[in-house]
Formats: sequence, C-alpha cells, structure tokens
Amino acid sequence: MLGLFGKKRAPRAVSDDEELFDEAFQRKLEYLAIVARRVYAGRMRAERRSKKTGAGIEFADHREYVPGDDFRYLDWNVYQRTGRLLVRLFEEEEDLAVYVLLDASASMGMTPTDASTPSKLRFGKQLAAGLGYVALAGLDRVSVLALRQGDEGRRVEDRLAPTRGKNRVFRIFEMLRGVRAEGRTNLVSSLRAFAAQNKRRGVAILISDLYDPSGFEDAINQLRFAKFETYVLHVIDPNEARPPLHGDVRIVDRETGESRDVTVTPKLLTKLAAAHEAYRHRIETFCGEKQVAYHALTTDTPFDEAILQVLRGGGLVR
Amino acid sequence: MALAQLATTFATALEATVATPFATTFALSFTGLSLGQVLSVLGGVGAGVVILYLLKLRRRRVEVPFVKLWEEILAEKQTTRLFSQLKRWLSLLVALALVAALSFALGDPRPDAATRDGRTLVVLVDASASMIATDAPRGSRFAEAIEKVRQLVAELGPADRMLVAQLDDTATPVTPLTDEPRVIEDGLAQLEPTHVAANLRAGLRLALDVLRGQPQPEVVVVGDGGFDASRFSPETFATTLRERGVRLSWVKLGESGDNVALSAFAVRRYPLDKSQNEVLVELYNPSEADAAVELELLGDDRSVDVQRLTVRAGERLRRFFQNVSGVDRTMEARLRRVDGQRDVLPADDAAFARVPERRRARICVVSDANLYLQAALLLDEYLDVTEVTTAQGLCEGDYDVYVLDNWVPPSAPPGPTLYLNPAPREGAAMPLAVTGTIERPYFDTQDRRHPLLQFTAMRDVNVGRALLVRPEPGDRVVAADSRGPLLVSGSRNNQPFVALTFDVRESDLALRVAWPLLLLNAIDLFVQERAGYVSSYSTGDTWRVPVGAEHREAVIVDPRGQERTVSVEQGRAVYAGRLAGFYELQLPDGTREVFAANLGAGEESRVLPADALAVGEVEAGAPTRGELGVRRELWLYLVLFALAILAVEWWTYHRRITV
Repeated sequence: MLGLFGKKRAPRAVSDDEELFDEAFQRKLEYLAIVARRVYAGRMRAERRSKKTGAGIEFADHREYVPGDDFRYLDWNVYQRTGRLLVRLFEEEEDLAVYVLLDASASMGMTPTDASTPSKLRFGKQLAAGLGYVALAGLDRVSVLALRQGDEGRRVEDRLAPTRGKNRVFRIFEMLRGVRAEGRTNLVSSLRAFAAQNKRRGVAILISDLYDPSGFEDAINQLRFAKFETYVLHVIDPNEARPPLHGDVRIVDRETGESRDVTVTPKLLTKLAAAHEAYRHRIETFCGEKQVAYHALTTDTPFDEAILQVLRGGGLVR
Repeated sequence: MALAQLATTFATALEATVATPFATTFALSFTGLSLGQVLSVLGGVGAGVVILYLLKLRRRRVEVPFVKLWEEILAEKQTTRLFSQLKRWLSLLVALALVAALSFALGDPRPDAATRDGRTLVVLVDASASMIATDAPRGSRFAEAIEKVRQLVAELGPADRMLVAQLDDTATPVTPLTDEPRVIEDGLAQLEPTHVAANLRAGLRLALDVLRGQPQPEVVVVGDGGFDASRFSPETFATTLRERGVRLSWVKLGESGDNVALSAFAVRRYPLDKSQNEVLVELYNPSEADAAVELELLGDDRSVDVQRLTVRAGERLRRFFQNVSGVDRTMEARLRRVDGQRDVLPADDAAFARVPERRRARICVVSDANLYLQAALLLDEYLDVTEVTTAQGLCEGDYDVYVLDNWVPPSAPPGPTLYLNPAPREGAAMPLAVTGTIERPYFDTQDRRHPLLQFTAMRDVNVGRALLVRPEPGDRVVAADSRGPLLVSGSRNNQPFVALTFDVRESDLALRVAWPLLLLNAIDLFVQERAGYVSSYSTGDTWRVPVGAEHREAVIVDPRGQERTVSVEQGRAVYAGRLAGFYELQLPDGTREVFAANLGAGEESRVLPADALAVGEVEAGAPTRGELGVRRELWLYLVLFALAILAVEWWTYHRRITV
C-alpha cells in the first residue's frame, strides 16, 4: 500500500532474536560446503591432510630405497623403466582441529544504526556456523567458543566441545543461539586460557571486532605463540566509522561505561572515519607482519559471500 | 515566568516615566502594540527561549562501541573548547535577537519623521499617440515614462504618498493614493499607450480633486508636453493651483521631431461607376526637414499602388488616387521612408478606411413621364427603379429612396425622399411650407462642401420659376437664390429628405451634366446614410456605428484582438475607440462587419517635445525628491532582519558551526 503513495518500504530490521539458522541459512551452508569442495578440488578433496607421510592411501611422492624399507612399497614399474629402486610414499590422513573463537563482548552486540544490517554478533554467529559447517563437512574436528569477560573481571565463555561429522552442526547452532553479547572484551586473558586448555594444535579462527582496550596484539600473539594456525576475521559495522550524529552529545563506551562530551561536526566525523580506518590498517599490518591471515568483513556483506571471501582468500583450507 | 513579569514591570515603569524622552531621543512611535506590550512579549518569549536553550545544553547520551577511537581525535578538540563555549553564547544571543526583532515588529514602530505630513503626488502619465514615439532609450517614450515613474517611486520619502493616472482623452487612475511601491507597480502594469490626444484638462481636474486638503500637494506630468492648451482655460487652473499651493512638475520625455504622418485618408466610389474608387491621401511633415517617403496603397490587403513623394518641411501634401478598382472591403495606406529608416512615430504611418458597400439601390419614382428624370436614372446601372404615376400613388414595398416629381403624397413616404418641385396640394404632407413663388431665381449661394453638390456647377443655371419655401429649424439650405432656398436638405419623422424647389423642366438644369449628378448625389447620400457608411472613425471620438435597431448589444473586436461588448442605442453601437486600425463588429445574428479608425488628433503627429510645460502662468518645474530616510514601516525591516538571522542560523546549523 505504501508503494501506491510512492513511499519506499523501509528495510526490515534484522534482530538478534530472529531465527538465526533457519532453513534458508542451512541451504546456504550446504551450498557453501559444495562450493568449498569445488574451489579446492585437487588440493583438498574432502579431507584435510596432515603433513606427515605414512600409511594412507593417497600417493604423495617417491624416495630412494634405503635398507629397512617395506618391500611392498617399492615401485616396480619405475624400477622396470629406469632401473632405480624407489619407494612410494603415501600421505597419512589425520583429522584437523578447528577452533572457532567468537568474541561475545558487549561491543559486538551494538544495535546497528542501519536497520538493514545485522549486528556484529549476529554476523559473527553466522560466520562461525558457516565455517564450522564447512569444517565439519571436511571431516574436521570442530570446537566453538564464545569469549567475553564478566563484570567482575571473571572470564566467561560458552564452549562447544570438539566434535566431528556434518550432522553435529546442529549442536553448533544450538550453542551459538545461546550466546549473548555481554561484558567486556579481554581477548588476551580469554585466549591465554584457551591456549592452555587446548593442547591439540590446529586452526584457530578468531571472529571479533577487536575493540579491546588492552590491545589486539597480545591477544593474537597468544594464539601464535601456542602454535595455532591463526585466522583473524575482523567484523566491522561500516556505520561505526561515520555514525549519524551531530551536535552536542555525550558518548558512552558500551563496555567500560567511560563517557566523553563531544560536539560532533562533519570535520570530527571525517577524523573519526580516518581513525577507524587507521585502526583497521594497524590490525592488518600487524597480521601481515606476523603471517596471520586477516580478513576484514563488513556486516553489510551477506554471510555466505563473506565465507566465500574467506575461503577464496586462501589459507583457511589447504 | 519571572523574567516575563520583570519585563512587564520594567515596561510599565518605562512607559510611565521615560516614554517621552525615549520617543524624543529615538524619535520612534509604536503604532501597533504599545512599548509595554512589546517588552512583555519580548520578556515572555525571551524567557521561553532561554529555558529551551538550557534544555538544549543537556547533552544526548549516545553509546559507542569503543571510546578509545574517539579519544584520539578529541585530544585535538580540547583547544577549541573555549570557542565552543563562545559559540553557544553566540547562538543564544542570535535566538534572543530574533525574538527581539519579531517583538518590536509587532509594535509597528515608526520614526517620528514618518508621522509628519509627507508629499502627496498625483502622477499623470501621458498615454497619447505621440508617446509611442521611439526616440527614447527604452524603446518608446511611453516605456521611458513608466521607468521615470518607477524612479519617482524610489525617491518617495517615508511619509510620501502617490497616485498614478493614465492621461489620454480622459484621466484614469490606475492606483489609489498609496505609499506602497508594490501597489504602484501593479498599477503601472495597467498603463497602455493610445492613439488619442492627451486631455490635460481632465488630468488637472482629477489631480486637483485628489489633492484637495492633502499635505504638500504636487502634480507630476510625465510626458512630452504635447498638450493642446486651447481645449481648456489654463488661467482657471493656474489660479486654482496657486490658491491651493499645488506644485506643478514635469518630467520631460522625447527629443526628436522627425516624423511624417498620414494626416487624412478617405475613399469613395465614383457616383457613376461604383466599381471604381477615388482615394484621398494627405501627408503631413511637421518636422523641420524635407522628407522623401514611399506611399503604398493596399486594397483588400493587396498592394494597389506605390508612389514616391517628397514632403517639404511643414507641408501638407494631398494626393488623389484615381480609378482604383478591384477593391470591395478595405483600403489601407502605409508610409515609409525611402531610406528604409522608420520615423519616430509609427502610429501615424498607417491609415485605414472601409470602402462603401456596393449594392443595388431600390428607387421608387412617382412621376408623370418626366423624360429628364427617367434619362438621368438610367445612367446608374446600380439603381433598381420602379416608376409609378402620381395617380397610382406611392409604390408598395420597401425602397431605399423615394423620388417624388411634382407630387406630394398625403402622408410622408417611409424612407428618404427627394422632392422635385413639391407644389402644394390639398391634403398633401408637405415637407416644406410653400409661401409663394420666385420668378427667375439663380443659384446665388451654394454650400460647395455639401455632398449634394459634388462635381456640379450650378452658378449659371437658368430657372423659370421656383417655389418660395420656408425651411424649418434644423433644415439645411444647400443652395439658394437671394429670395429663398432652391435646394434644402433636412429630416422629417426621422427620415431624411432633399427638396429641389423648382421643376427641372422649367429650367436648363435638365440639359446640363449637373442634373444627373445632383440626382445621383442625392440618392448616394440617402443610401450611404441609410447604410450608415463612414469611411473611417477618429480615435478619441465616441463612435456610433450603425447596427440596426433590432439589436440590443454588439461585440467590437479592436485591432489588438480584444473583444468588448457594447450597448446599442437607437440602432447604433456606441464605443469610444482609442486605437487606429480595422475593427470588427459582431452582431448576435452572426453578422460581421469591418470598420476603420484613424488617428484622430492631427497635432499628435507633431512629436517634437515642448520646451516647457505651463498652465497659464504656472510653469512646471522639476519634481521634488522625498526626504531621505527609511520607509515608515520599520516592522518590515525588523521582519527582514529576523529572516536574515534565521537564514544565518540555518546556514550555520547545516554547516555544523553553531551546533
């Protein structure tokens, strides 16, 4: 009816309470799993491979025979053609541990100023679920953790124990549904504890806005030093860089409650956007220097495209 | 609210104690709300603004995800904190200034100078034909005149008032007596030039009526000074102007007198050959140099003849165009310079005329075999003659002309009648009283300009005997012997008649060319009068265009295409035309006729502006100027000031300067 009067229908607001993992979402996950296979066909197939060669069934390489090698692995066809004794090597298959670490601090739950985009937490949940499913489809062992700090400095986390198999994705959904954006960000403490608790190394995917008053560097270093293959998915709400504010306002930090009186002018907003970009650039530069995969993902990007962007960016799956 | 009460108290005290000094010092009077009321409004609304402003200072609380990012950029803002505070105070002051401006506007303050009596101007804008002259910077004297009036408006003082009137053959106000420039501007849009002479008398009468009892009265004439003072008694007006202290001013327009005019234009059909016309054109060169011109004659919109002529300075040059044929409706004369230039007054470079309608006239002749009469009537093939004897009496039916030869009927004929020797008879309805006879009369006196005598030579006509008749008041004696009239025209019972008081058979007139000419002149006169033929009307006159008694109203379309419904009185549409050109007359029965109008006032062709304008002994001077100062409606400036503040506030708000 509004269309009759030339009035555009307002974009529908996306709320966190809305069904996160509905049928459409699951169909997209299936599509992502298929696309992920196609993209990495020939390099990856369905399984992840360890770097060890051993008793698998996939041929990996030849090496010169040395006494003591199992005769069954000698390549007689090569010997017939070249007269050299070469042993066939096979990749040893091993399931990979994938840890999805979702920042669930209060800043992630900021209500977006653009109602058509989801909150950072909702976007992060979708990313976590999507990547988790892709990993489960690759027969990897997936664990999901929600990170935040309580009011009294106590570390709080929701955790899903490592699990395998595609049908376990519903446990991931169930766990993520229960995650609420609360408390402060303290990534250093959370990730230090994570590294201590998980001795089995693997892939650690950190999904966060990286708004940590104590800095993001130490947090990422916690994962690096613990030999995790680290991926940083930096979730960005584009409106945070240029909020629709003007005039005299009192800004209050959602996590710390710290406040400042500000007179917002276009010039100030331009400076804020520049500071925002500089912060993002700092993270990217740091990750680049430390050989940590970094992906900046804006919440106005559909989650499936964001996941494909991560997958195509390489590294997350070999 | 306390502020409002304080303001009210202050205002009351101010009014009671220092009102007069205040007024004297600032020379202001409040004609709307009183000063006390103004200050009360100012206090009340100002207090409201301050409260709203304090509320505005409470900052809106906005959550941000990471205040650390803001701190980096806010470090620079600390230096501008003082400026921010100043801006807030400035913003409050701007808001209070806005309230103050609007509050004082409600009081309608006026400077005391404005309440003193200002000038009262009546501006007479000359809209006569000479004002169409193109020797003015803005295209014409008339356009220049309007601009001069605008200058007068711009020079109005705070207390001056002005009335503008169009001066043509009457004086028509186009504005009330006002000091509103917008109203005067609207009135100026109604002014339009005409093709008539300016009637200064009417203008002065209007001005004196308007200025009666007004302060500092002044009549400003804007024009070229081409007024005919002979049309009124200037001394009477001069006395009145002096007695009432009315100043006479003149804004002179125009500079050139270079003009050649078509001063006369007429067309008629030849009496004996109505298929051909004779055209009279008169050219007038009022300038001081000879002019070579090309005169073009158009018939029914087609070029008929072109002549090159030289008109000497001050000369009136007449030209006849003979045997112009193939023209049935309209004729037009156009004048242009041989060198391709146009003279300064295009209005008199064209003249218009309607060609008389050519139709078969029905003639009833009552005669006992007058061969001379019969022969003369045979000369005009456009006459439809019905002849009866005197014993048969008048013809039955409708006739254009009755010719009664040696016989007068018992009752007057129902149309124009030519009586030939109306000898008295018992029971006859005599047009003229016959008192005797005149033996051997001569045409001693003749009215040569009368159409009856056109082309005739009557002086040596020999007549044996004529009736001695006594004309009635209103009758016109066209030719006469010293003892009595021989040829009389007049009207009886609203029907025209012509009476020849002798029998042509008892004279040698019947043997002369003058006889058939006299007869046909009389018939033409009757027929054209009945058809109401007028070659052209003159602008400035009241036209009475014949339309037929059965109509109540008619529509006249002027040369500009504007239609006007006019009333019909006694069978004639009455209209005061002011434009030269062809007009169309539309009747309710669908009949459409064309008639022509020409520039009526010949003196308008004399376009050289006058050296001075004087009414009797009163010489016109330059217009006075208004006292310098602001217009008296200060509220207007206050509102403009408030709007300006709003505009600045709006601009700074959207530029984020004052937020």
